[in-house]
Amino acid sequence: MQPITLRMRRASLFMLLYVFLMPFCTFYLQAGTVLEPPQATVSGTVTDSTGEPLAGVNLVVESKNIGTMSDMDGSFSVNAGPSDILIFSMVGFKTLSVPIAGRDEVLVTMEEDVTELGEVVLNAGYYSVSERERTGNIATVKASVVDKQPVGNPLAAMQGQMSGVNIVQNTGVPGGGFSVEVRGQNFINGVTDPLYIVDGVPFGSQSLGSTDVSRFILGSDISPLNAINPNDIESIEVLKDADATAIYGSRGANGVVLITTKKGRAGKTRFDAHLSTTFGQVSNFVDLMNTEQYLEVRREGVINDGFEAALENPVFDSFWPDITLWDSNRYTDWQKVLIGGTAYRNSAQLSVSGGSAQTQFLVSGALLDETTVFPGDSKYNRATVHSNITHRSSNERFRLNLSTSYTHEDNLVPSIDLSSQAYILAPNAPALYYEEGNLNWENNTWNNPLASLEEKVGVKSSTVLANAMLSYELWEGLELRSSLGYTDYHLDSYRTLPSSARNPRFNFTPQNYSSLTTNQSQRTSWIVEPQLQWKQQWDVLSMDVLVGTTFQQETTEQLVLRGRGFPTNALINNMAAADEVEARGSSDSDYRYNAVFGRVNLQLLDRYILNLTGRRDGSSRFGPGRQFGNFGAVGLAWIFFKEKPFAESSVLSFGKLRGSYGTTGSDNIGDYQFLDTYTVVGEDYAGVSVLSPTGIFNPAFGWEANNKLEAGLELGFFKDRVFLNAAWYRNRSSNQLVGVPLAATTGFSELTGNFDATVENSGLELDLRSINLSKGRFKWSTTLNLTVPRSKLVRFDGLETSTFTNQYVIGEPLSIVKLYRSLGVDPETGQYEIEDFNGDGAITSNEDRQFIADLAPSFYGGLGNTLSWGNLTFDVFLQFKKQEGFNNFQNDAVPGFPRNASVELLDRWREPGDMKPVQVASSGLAFGVGNGDLQRSSDAVVSDASFIRVRNISLNYKVPMVDKRLDVQVYLQGQNLFTFTRYTGPDPEQTLNSRLPPLRQLTLGLKVGF
Amino acid sequence: MLNTTNMKTRQTDLIIRWNASILKFFLLLLPILGVFGCTDFVEVDPPKNVLVSETVFDDPATVESALADLYFKMRETGMVSGNVGLTTRMAIYSDELDYYGSDPQLLEFYQNRVLPPNTELLGWWSEAYTVIYGANAILDGLEDTTFTMEEQQKFRGQALFVRAFMHSLLASVFGDVPYVTSTDYRVNNQVSRLSEDLVYENIMADLEEAIALMGDIAIANGERTFIDHYAAKALLARMYLLTEQWELAAVQASDLIAAFGLEEDLDKVFLKESGETIWQLRHGPLPGNTQEANQLIIPSVPGQTFAMTESLLSAFETGDLRRTAWVGSISDAENTVTFFYPYKYKARFNVTESLEYAIQFRLAEQYLIRAEALLALGNITGAQSDLNTVRSRAGLPNSTANTVDELFSAILAERRIELFAEQGHRWFDLKRSGRATEVLGDVKPNWEETDVLLPVPESELDTNPSLLPQNQGY
Repeated sequence: MQPITLRMRRASLFMLLYVFLMPFCTFYLQAGTVLEPPQATVSGTVTDSTGEPLAGVNLVVESKNIGTMSDMDGSFSVNAGPSDILIFSMVGFKTLSVPIAGRDEVLVTMEEDVTELGEVVLNAGYYSVSERERTGNIATVKASVVDKQPVGNPLAAMQGQMSGVNIVQNTGVPGGGFSVEVRGQNFINGVTDPLYIVDGVPFGSQSLGSTDVSRFILGSDISPLNAINPNDIESIEVLKDADATAIYGSRGANGVVLITTKKGRAGKTRFDAHLSTTFGQVSNFVDLMNTEQYLEVRREGVINDGFEAALENPVFDSFWPDITLWDSNRYTDWQKVLIGGTAYRNSAQLSVSGGSAQTQFLVSGALLDETTVFPGDSKYNRATVHSNITHRSSNERFRLNLSTSYTHEDNLVPSIDLSSQAYILAPNAPALYYEEGNLNWENNTWNNPLASLEEKVGVKSSTVLANAMLSYELWEGLELRSSLGYTDYHLDSYRTLPSSARNPRFNFTPQNYSSLTTNQSQRTSWIVEPQLQWKQQWDVLSMDVLVGTTFQQETTEQLVLRGRGFPTNALINNMAAADEVEARGSSDSDYRYNAVFGRVNLQLLDRYILNLTGRRDGSSRFGPGRQFGNFGAVGLAWIFFKEKPFAESSVLSFGKLRGSYGTTGSDNIGDYQFLDTYTVVGEDYAGVSVLSPTGIFNPAFGWEANNKLEAGLELGFFKDRVFLNAAWYRNRSSNQLVGVPLAATTGFSELTGNFDATVENSGLELDLRSINLSKGRFKWSTTLNLTVPRSKLVRFDGLETSTFTNQYVIGEPLSIVKLYRSLGVDPETGQYEIEDFNGDGAITSNEDRQFIADLAPSFYGGLGNTLSWGNLTFDVFLQFKKQEGFNNFQNDAVPGFPRNASVELLDRWREPGDMKPVQVASSGLAFGVGNGDLQRSSDAVVSDASFIRVRNISLNYKVPMVDKRLDVQVYLQGQNLFTFTRYTGPDPEQTLNSRLPPLRQLTLGLKVGF
Repeated sequence: MLNTTNMKTRQTDLIIRWNASILKFFLLLLPILGVFGCTDFVEVDPPKNVLVSETVFDDPATVESALADLYFKMRETGMVSGNVGLTTRMAIYSDELDYYGSDPQLLEFYQNRVLPPNTELLGWWSEAYTVIYGANAILDGLEDTTFTMEEQQKFRGQALFVRAFMHSLLASVFGDVPYVTSTDYRVNNQVSRLSEDLVYENIMADLEEAIALMGDIAIANGERTFIDHYAAKALLARMYLLTEQWELAAVQASDLIAAFGLEEDLDKVFLKESGETIWQLRHGPLPGNTQEANQLIIPSVPGQTFAMTESLLSAFETGDLRRTAWVGSISDAENTVTFFYPYKYKARFNVTESLEYAIQFRLAEQYLIRAEALLALGNITGAQSDLNTVRSRAGLPNSTANTVDELFSAILAERRIELFAEQGHRWFDLKRSGRATEVLGDVKPNWEETDVLLPVPESELDTNPSLLPQNQGY
């Protein structure tokens, strides 16, 4: 035993020494020299096959492991002996060995590597893996794709680009959020957010918005990811299957999104400037009734309801001011007025990068400002500073990577998304302003929508992201490293509600009405992840082992204050001026997370690969005794084209079969859910502050699990010019944490607990890329991705008696809605008829909502083409989705209500015998239109919402320069340009029409580098 | 400076020796890392805005805060509240107010076509049971406390009253309802309905206990904004009347009449200092007056939401001072139409000084309860005397009614005027006297006999099938 203990002691001693002495060692080791043959300076230039100089080519003198890089003009110089061999390498080019053979000057021409497959290295989080050798499913979007898209949020750049990743933009208002689903919805509680990791540090993606402040504009959904400037992104990887995500254990169930920011490259100091201007507009207006049509159905409705006589009686004018009081010749296209503006976005970015072979740096600063399509002075501003330093010691043992970024966002928006008003305001509604510029309340007969412009919502946020990765190679193949990360996200938002935003008839004054609501929130997290990696190569076997541990803490604080009663509206931004300040909410939460994880990767004969990953996780979100859970996965790959039968094939150039199975988990349920609690709600009664019961004790509260199974086939043809990547997956999520709706008699609306339910998501994913043509200066390449997802609820014990019985059906997906079946309009009565499924003579929601519509896409994907001819590059990217969605009838099924509606409602029943899709008009004041509401919950409100969208077109021209060191590019980019769809609502992408749809944007930009 | 060659040799040496034992090293490392997987690190304290239930009952001050939640919720939400409560909804459902707005949920009330999915109804149902849960949680939590006897009695008494009060309102709207006394969600999630009579029995038992507990304790402050045994007596008298226990009703009403006095000036009855107030809910944060005033007073025409019906206006006798003191009016700019509105509460939101609170029980009702009880017991003079006390304050002469039938009608007519647009009194009088169809059948075109009960919210029947069957007619 003694030798082992001794060695252990020595090991611990060494670990200590490593920590304290490493910095000195590094410089010390750099200083060492070795006896060498006589040296001479060798210089030369590197060019590509067309003769263009290549910058940043890695150059190593083989015998000495000394390296350098080529400059902007392709030139290099290095000290080497006359018999040395120079090795040139660069991503995208075939590595080249050139013997110096006594020359002083070496001219090198590098040849493009057609597929780059072997070279492409994917970030898998704790480790990286080459595309060729990966066992898991990792989708990636590189900077080249992100750069072509004029977007403000990294998630927008990913839309449609990756198979299995379904991203929907929730609002066209800048600063808003996105819904992201990686391989479908796994959990009944609806949480689909993947785990976001930015440069190795988890980044909380949950909005800290307060409903008290921004409920009506951004849906409180203020995406923290807006803080990441898409132009700073080097690559985005999405980890999908068990093999790739199990190492993230309890947080990997919904997939993992890894964002890697740009780094500096060695060479001459390079300056880059990037300027662009974007114009954005609402891409589609709904076809609404004009004044004549509107008043016709309104009047008809009132008469049908039996109020014809009352129309003449002024007592009842307040029931229908649009018919009797307002100018019946007036017409306003409210969509044009309220959401028809042009949103401008200007962005400017400057960056400096460069460095030596040992140390590289990059510093970039960017400014962006963006207006909205709403009237008024709404504006979004963002300033970002990003920096990165990488260093490696000359003996390559010590490496350091430090990235920091700071983002400040300032968003000023109206307090209400005016889109909802734009679709429903009567076309003859009065003018917004009197001639003298005051808001017009038209004798108190309407609510002026622009009053909400008087109310302001301001959101200021600042985000600091800092992370460091330190590593030291203890011995050859054994590396000790640690990542350290810190993020700090501050959000300050406010909403003002001045009395001037209300109809003067209420006699509201600043003293009795005006209010200011503020929300100060902050989320801070730190993470430390020490790791050891050991790589060993034997004859036919190579092994890569990683062990590590994670400590993470995330604290969130939020304080929502409301001040009421201001001496004047001019002081409304000053909380100190309020008469009465009330704390609406003060909350904090502490999330702690601890884990041990590991990976073992074995490769036999370079073709049989086994990848084992595992993690033991502890989370503070669960009660005592239930905090820990184990997760793990097995991945296998067989690179079969190396086997005999395929080896000589001239068609097949690559072939791999891979598969994986494993378990990941989710603790994405919010903090402290297991406690029974009373919460200070920020109210008082007669001077006693109020404590409300807010939770029911539930000790049996554990992890959700997602078992993922995957099989994949990767094939390369014709020297990998055509490359196909196909994957089949089946994820089964169980032990579902569900907020089970409770009967109101319990005093609560729901209880969160683990439910014995299983949800299965399966599907096929196909990624195809091909280089169709590559002839001299002309190149044409295509990418295609296609996802065919299937989802079903496999098991749900006690569904029949549970409160979900009206929501879900065994064997159907979670994305269904249960609807009545509409039988259309009865030609005799002119009323909608609803099918009485159980034939009991009454229409009841439990029994008669038997029509099932699935709102999830049945397939989706993207098709991209890139054509380049010399300096000119042209890209077209189409996004397509086959799905059903809610149509215009979800809002109105009966013509004649006091709100504008789609012209589809004009095709209505008028007299017996009419066969029409829409029922008889009614003003909504009388009953006997009872089925209108049922119709709105029937199959009639769901229709095809498939679309093909020209998501991106980009035309890039590299301006030829006399001075090769100057790099000038101009581009024109369009985002969301055209949509081909049969959908009649505002936007088929998100069919809620109370929110501003994503905009159509056109960008003109200039890049200069030297 | 060390000799580098020398160092390299030593390193190589180390590598060779280490390769052999490197696996062992990893094996040893795993448990070391495992130690870090420590439970201590992932145990966190609850956040500062949250108290774990047990700790609430460690301190009387936090129990008071838990009680304050009940008052707060009653004032802001559900049937008791001035903005969405019984006062306006049941006034348009019966014959007190006309509705001029276009909210489809309220139109259903106005046109007596309330459907089971009506969200107003769901709000009433669920808010009532949320408050009942709060009361039950306090009753449970108090089981193992070390508070003084007086503290325990005070807390229990208020919680029992709240439980009884909410159930009484539920039963009067929905008929048979569950009487919830447990805090166990598994029980309450499958609870079934109790017959209306049994609900009333439970209510009366709770109230009797509450009175016994709070009898000797001064709880209500000068403003009468907290529940005490008088409030419990006032509700109990109402319940005895409803269940026709006349003697008991008369006893409770008499106790209150002995303890309080009618406010002589009609303009002061609804002020927060009013002497006849038995229990009132204090206003919330600014503005410092009632929701009732804001709902009922018409600020401009057009712009009216609720206005008094023709039949209510014509029910005032000539010379009734309440017609001028408690009724307001407003006309449009051209003076073509005039609307009348309840003007009991006069301070709208634009009055920054706090003048009025939302009164839940006041003495005038107790006079009329006793009048009705005495009449049923055959004490005609006693009944006349109580009735005339209320009439004389309104400047009216003594009632001419002499027979039992006449007097009964006179008392109901008096209740209609005295208590108009207050917490749905009119509706409950029509319902309990069995005259709803007779009276409303004439003035409300869609009235059907089954409309005396409102439907149980549809989503509740979906969630808890034990609540089936639905009330008749829905």
